[in-house]
Amino acid sequence: MSDHSVNIIMIEDDEGHARLIEKNIRRAGIANAIRHFLDGTTALDYLFNAPDGPALNGPALILLDLNLPDMSGIDILAKIKSDDRLKRTPVVVLTTTDDKQEIQRCYDLGANVYITKPVNYESFARAIQQLGLFLSVIQVPEVGDA
Amino acid sequence: MVAITRGVTIYDRHFQRVILAAMAAAFFLLLIAGGATVINVIGNEDHTARVNRTYVIKGALADYGLYSERIEAVRRGYILLRDEKMMAKFHATMRKMPPLLDQIVSLVRDPAQQRRVAQLRIVAAAHERSVAGTFAQIGNGDAAMQAIAAFGIDDSITTMDTLRSVLAEMTSAEAELLTTRDAEQKAGIRTLYVTLGVTGVLIVALMGATLTVILRYTNDLNRSQDALRELNTGLEAAVADRTAELSRANSEIQRFAYIVSHDLRSPLVNVMGFTAELEASIAPLTELIDRVDAEAPQLMVPDARAAKTDLPEAIGFIRASTNKMDRLINSILRLSREGRRTLVPVPVDLVELASAIRDGFRHRLTELGAEIEVTMPMPPIVTDRLALEQILSNIVENADKYLQPGRPGRIAVSARAEGRRVIIDVTDNGRGIAPADRERIFELFRRSGTQDQPGEGLGLAHVRALAYRIGGVIDCISELGAGAIFRLSLPGVLQVEPREGTAA
Repeated sequence: MSDHSVNIIMIEDDEGHARLIEKNIRRAGIANAIRHFLDGTTALDYLFNAPDGPALNGPALILLDLNLPDMSGIDILAKIKSDDRLKRTPVVVLTTTDDKQEIQRCYDLGANVYITKPVNYESFARAIQQLGLFLSVIQVPEVGDA
Repeated sequence: MVAITRGVTIYDRHFQRVILAAMAAAFFLLLIAGGATVINVIGNEDHTARVNRTYVIKGALADYGLYSERIEAVRRGYILLRDEKMMAKFHATMRKMPPLLDQIVSLVRDPAQQRRVAQLRIVAAAHERSVAGTFAQIGNGDAAMQAIAAFGIDDSITTMDTLRSVLAEMTSAEAELLTTRDAEQKAGIRTLYVTLGVTGVLIVALMGATLTVILRYTNDLNRSQDALRELNTGLEAAVADRTAELSRANSEIQRFAYIVSHDLRSPLVNVMGFTAELEASIAPLTELIDRVDAEAPQLMVPDARAAKTDLPEAIGFIRASTNKMDRLINSILRLSREGRRTLVPVPVDLVELASAIRDGFRHRLTELGAEIEVTMPMPPIVTDRLALEQILSNIVENADKYLQPGRPGRIAVSARAEGRRVIIDVTDNGRGIAPADRERIFELFRRSGTQDQPGEGLGLAHVRALAYRIGGVIDCISELGAGAIFRLSLPGVLQVEPREGTAA
């Protein structure tokens, strides 16, 4: 992921969380562009329809929160994983929910990583920074590669 | 419902009185019948004796008449024949007569007859004297003619006639008496039959009435039993409804608690996160202030210097508060998560479970000098083992937390079956709970009494939520300073409805 063309798409309704996540990812040394969406509708529109969105252009990595004001992150996950162009796009579910069933459901739907946001900020910061380190080494497939 | 109950009790008393009265009446009638029979039998015997006596009297009278006729005949024979044999016969007959008369006297009871007997005695004596006179005259050698003459003149013929008529009178009087007595006896028997008939009819009627009353009472009893059974079933249904309602309300609250606590967490992450960011910036800021202070004190303002101390203090308060809030939210989350666990009803051995809990607390209790007693036996129960274990251990933990200082702790766990429910009591002799707090202690984050023990005020809220979940109800019976009883009422067999999908 050192390839700077990989966009990080963050779907997170809480601006504070988004800011904290971004801060800590940057602290881990990730310099990729981060696109932030506050709700599911605009995020889906971008994912599927935007000319510079991952469906039409370029590889991406999605950070997904499950609790969104207009829809459940699970629906977004299902849509991504059932779309031929997007199904290989790595999705990191980053949410407050630590319900076992919910976690299982996400993996069943094809989530690549599931991370529960720790409430304690030190843990939170550490988790995000580790995620950043993780992101810096994973390979993201090119869109359209069959 | 009230009417039925009242009807039954009144009828009950009424019934007893009616049955008792009927029994007494029947018994009384039986006594009368028995008495009448006895009286009649006695009367009958008496009558037979009297009839016999009459016959004996009649016989004796006939004999007496016969003897009188005989001595008269002997007298005449003697006058005519002067035969000494006649004399002997006269004397023999004469000897027989007084005892016969005595017998008659002793037998006769009727006053009229007694009068006649007296008359008979006089007439018979006169006759005897007359006959004896005749024999004496002839024996003395008096002329037969003289005697004959005397026989003609004296009143012996009239005496004899009187004797005969008295005897005839007496005989006919006896016959009359016999007829009267026969009639009396017949009347007595008729009276007996009538008495027996009437008492028989009355007894049968009483039996009929008693039977009707008993049947009616039994019917009523059956009906009220049915009503009671129905009522009981209704009550059970009401309890089931109520617990189902509580359980539903409980699961709703838990869902709500989950969502709320979950959503509270997000802003808390921000508060804590940015507080940490702020805190992180204190160090460079302090450094800057120190440097300015040292290198260019003319740039320094007092407020900036105060920031050095005020900022860490403010952040400290924010942190403490957010930490507390975090703990509370986590507690609620834990509580609601417990509410989302799938229940598994299994047969639970209460004695074994309670003993395991007791053993779990043994160490702590020994330290406190307290004891837990598990009262045996305990009824069988089918419920969610984990939930029940958590409820009981929470209550026991609570009991040992709030023991009365200076009094050796006694905690008792007992259980009993009550209809289809099982009641589990955890009794302690601790410091107790004030009446006003008895409901409050089950509320979330609420605690009661002296706060000398750590805790978030979550245990009993958790207990109540768990109790509701497994179809139970928990109550506290206590007085301040006098210990407490936590009473858990659970269904004997927990029915688990298929659960709806759990919310995120």
